[in-house]
Amino acid sequence: MASLKDRYCIVGVGETEYSRRSGRSTRAMAVEAIKNAMADAGLGKDGVDGMMSYQGGDSTTSNWVSPDLGLRLNFYMDVFGGGSSTEALIGLAIGAIEAGMCNTMAIFRSMNGYSDVRIGGTGARAAAPVRGLDLAQVPFGMRSAGQSFAPTFMRHMYEYGTTSAQVAHVRQAHSKHASQNPKALLKERVTVNDVLASRWIVKPLHLLDCCVETDNATCVIVTSAERARDLRMRPVYIMGVAGRVNKPRLDFHWAHGPISRVAGYHARDIVFGQAGIKPDDVDITGSYDAFTFTTMLQLEEYGFCQKGEGGHYVSSGIIELGGRRPNNTSGSHLCEGYTHGMSMVIENVRQLRGTADDYCPGAADGQHSYDYSPGRCRQVKDAKITMNLGWAMPATGSALIMHN
Amino acid sequence: MPSIEYRGMNLVVPENDSEWNEHFKLARERRLMLRACGACHLMRYPPSHGCPFCGDLSWSWREVSGRGHIYSYEIVAHAIQPGFKDWTPYAVVLVELDEQRGQPTADQALRIIANLVTPDFRAEKEENVAIGKRVRVVFQDLSPDFALPQFTLTDEPPEGRVWRFPS
Repeated sequence: MASLKDRYCIVGVGETEYSRRSGRSTRAMAVEAIKNAMADAGLGKDGVDGMMSYQGGDSTTSNWVSPDLGLRLNFYMDVFGGGSSTEALIGLAIGAIEAGMCNTMAIFRSMNGYSDVRIGGTGARAAAPVRGLDLAQVPFGMRSAGQSFAPTFMRHMYEYGTTSAQVAHVRQAHSKHASQNPKALLKERVTVNDVLASRWIVKPLHLLDCCVETDNATCVIVTSAERARDLRMRPVYIMGVAGRVNKPRLDFHWAHGPISRVAGYHARDIVFGQAGIKPDDVDITGSYDAFTFTTMLQLEEYGFCQKGEGGHYVSSGIIELGGRRPNNTSGSHLCEGYTHGMSMVIENVRQLRGTADDYCPGAADGQHSYDYSPGRCRQVKDAKITMNLGWAMPATGSALIMHN
Repeated sequence: MPSIEYRGMNLVVPENDSEWNEHFKLARERRLMLRACGACHLMRYPPSHGCPFCGDLSWSWREVSGRGHIYSYEIVAHAIQPGFKDWTPYAVVLVELDEQRGQPTADQALRIIANLVTPDFRAEKEENVAIGKRVRVVFQDLSPDFALPQFTLTDEPPEGRVWRFPS
């Protein structure tokens, strides 16, 4: 497949606060997040001429948001999608710019994911009529993301001997990272035993195996490498991207085993092929943590360890700050707040700039202590290459490799 | 438009739902019917118009035995659908049917999501749920022309290794 390696960059990132009661509209939050990303990039109202967003019937759209920012757009498109959409839309932004449709694309996601339409499937989502393909599982009390994914996780435990304690290390690591993140909703460090002692949601998932629903908006801005050179921040270069790659039988992936295999199996050659690197070259991963298990499954499927050894990998210390290849250094969905993936790309951009917004007084200028004790630093020293592993469900995923 | 109330849910199968409009009616007649391709003759589930294996659009209903084993499962402790709260903890099972196992490739099979229930449609006890256990279909009547295919344990020897989530 073709590659546009290093010809496009992420030049701006921004978000709102993470809360459980935003008290305002998704439109208001989207405007703030995009405004912050534009200011980060040093772009004024004439600097952004493309806009994309993703949502699940729970958010605002580009045509409501762009006027609030004084923008006249040459391109916009709002798509249906949740997790794994961020990386896919970054790829589509490159395509739109390459096609000459626009020059600089703002991509946003805005959701009152706790106070309004809860991602976990309760409230408005649970009350919707059950029809179409949902009839194959919802009448049996299988509606939420956790309920829809759990048989995949269970089968992995059966096939490979993966244990609850092993995957609980993902929460332990991400909570350590969140303790260095002023933005994180849950900043308290938790242990493997805390995870195992938390109440059951749907076995094999405990409460603390699940992410934290929040209200937030997030934004990244993509433009060409030529334009990026004139902007405010050090550009972060896109080496490779794979978008919404899927396993066979997307209608009912249970039919096509092994069901413990996830979409990364099909995405990895695309994205590593474009980037021309191997997993061992990656300094930081951003493996989507809707659940502890999703982080683990993707890391092994993309080749950071052998298939089946994900439980060992995530419990070895490698994925923690100070380890060989930290994962989700912001604390991410499990602790910072659930964003449908955008925040994990934002975090890796900041890491590659050397400006992770931790508690170091000089963080914005790249001055870090690299002291990973609570309430201090979360910048990874000399981070050069990051990789995001986006998850929609076991059968669909995206990936993004960047460097500084 | 058939609309079934079940556990607080509104199950809707409009007449133009050409995937599902016969499936639950056939189940009410105590038959588990899957669609079989007119070209390659392989069956698939859920009901669909094109064959996922060869892409042919011709098909016909074919009855299966409704026997199989538990391929994977989950135990829902915290129900998010209000109508399921009085049923917790309940098992959702992924059943692999006896027909067409390992076809057309080794890891493929006819698999169905359902609840593991007692013959009188109570949630099966958690300690009895395990990968490998043998099951058979039972039909839970919800209206005169609609039944949900569910599964219940049999006393047949298990399929391979029996494994329960250790908790």
